[in-house]
Amino acid sequence: MRLLLLNGSPRGTAGNTAILLKHFTEGFLANNNNSAETGYLKRAIDHRKLAEKFTGASAVIIAFPLYADSMPGIVKDFIETLGRVRGKGPSPKIGFIVQSGFPEAVHSRYVEKYLEKLARRLDAPYLGTVIRGGVEGIQAMPPFMTRRLFMAFRSLGRHFGVTKEFHPIIVKKLAAKERLSMVKKAVFRACQSIGLTNMYWNMMLKKNGAFERRFDRPYQP
Amino acid sequence: MNIVILNGNPDPNARELERYIDALTAELAAKGHEVNAHTLRDMNIRSCTGCWSCWVKTPGMCAQHDDMPVVYTSVMAADLVLFASPIIMGFVSALLKRANERFIPLIHPYLVIDRGECHHLKRYTRYPELGLILHKGADADDEDIKITSDIYARIALNFKTTLRFSIQTSQPIQEALHAIAAA
Ligand SMILES: Cc1cc2nc3c(=O)[nH]c(=O)nc-3n(C[C@H](O)[C@H](O)[C@H](O)COP(=O)(O)O)c2cc1C
Repeated sequence: MRLLLLNGSPRGTAGNTAILLKHFTEGFLANNNNSAETGYLKRAIDHRKLAEKFTGASAVIIAFPLYADSMPGIVKDFIETLGRVRGKGPSPKIGFIVQSGFPEAVHSRYVEKYLEKLARRLDAPYLGTVIRGGVEGIQAMPPFMTRRLFMAFRSLGRHFGVTKEFHPIIVKKLAAKERLSMVKKAVFRACQSIGLTNMYWNMMLKKNGAFERRFDRPYQP
Repeated sequence: MNIVILNGNPDPNARELERYIDALTAELAAKGHEVNAHTLRDMNIRSCTGCWSCWVKTPGMCAQHDDMPVVYTSVMAADLVLFASPIIMGFVSALLKRANERFIPLIHPYLVIDRGECHHLKRYTRYPELGLILHKGADADDEDIKITSDIYARIALNFKTTLRFSIQTSQPIQEALHAIAAA
């Protein structure tokens, strides 16, 4: 199978989406009959060309970071381009990967409804939406913390390469908890009381000499 | 009330939403409200690049140089912000969405648990209430309106406020005025 992967991160090749897609693609290409091409939605000037590729493809996966509870503006821009260039008739099979900063899957469930409807709007067979939270920070984590996540994306890709579907058990495992459990909330509060939940941001604030200004309100009326 | 309207209609020739906003603005002004309408398509609004400067380099300020500071100043002084957009491909315009995600400097990076979920800490003590004005058009249905309104209720939660109403340009201006008075 020939697969078109569209990366909808405003950070393009430097983002977390790119890392997850890299592992997915590696798994997918384990089947020698498969080939994959990746396009980046970061720049609006590339959208027309990519929309034409979309129309000609047999299967497409659009992956993006959750941005203000939905798709980044550039992804919406691309969807609008699709609406303009698309002729009548069926579209390729389409699936989505949404990854977010907050750990719970619930944050991405609302845009998932949109994506499912989008597939119907495009007359495209819907392959589903893979949701993964807690992804901001993976680039600062040591390998032992991300190993299982990357392995899960590789198996997701490998299964996709054989069955042309997202494996439901892997999808469920990746989405993990819909909401924080009582235990997680207690752990969060304990970490919060000793300043652990803000460690990542404090580290960067200090590195930039901005720690003292972290509560600034430049637009206070 | 100080009311700000962010007009996310990308097409100056699509008049229905423009007429609705103009009529609403006139009625609100006649009632003594201060109304500031920003037509986003006439402004330079760049996409968020995800650089986090606004959280870790220049807290509260975006690194990009465009017209967003006008929006920030106006939004933070408002009691109510109305997001207005036609439904395009089932959602608000890319133009409005682009402006919405640039609101991230207005909140704080620190995490808190709010209503049992992870969210961010407030940066300011007070945030405006939100309302949605949607123009349905030929290509949209009630499901699109529901999906969009539900997402904006979530956006409001992350913007430390509440989506008070979602109205459509097919509804009489009076209904919009009632919704605004109740907000
Ligand atoms: C402007 C902006 C808005 C964001 N909004 C959300 C959000 O609503 N919910 C969430 O869980 N994460 C949100 N995030 C976090 C991103 O989804 C997360 O950092 C993601 O891993 C970035 O992926 P990328 O590096 O591929 O762009 C937001 C990030 C940015 C920059």
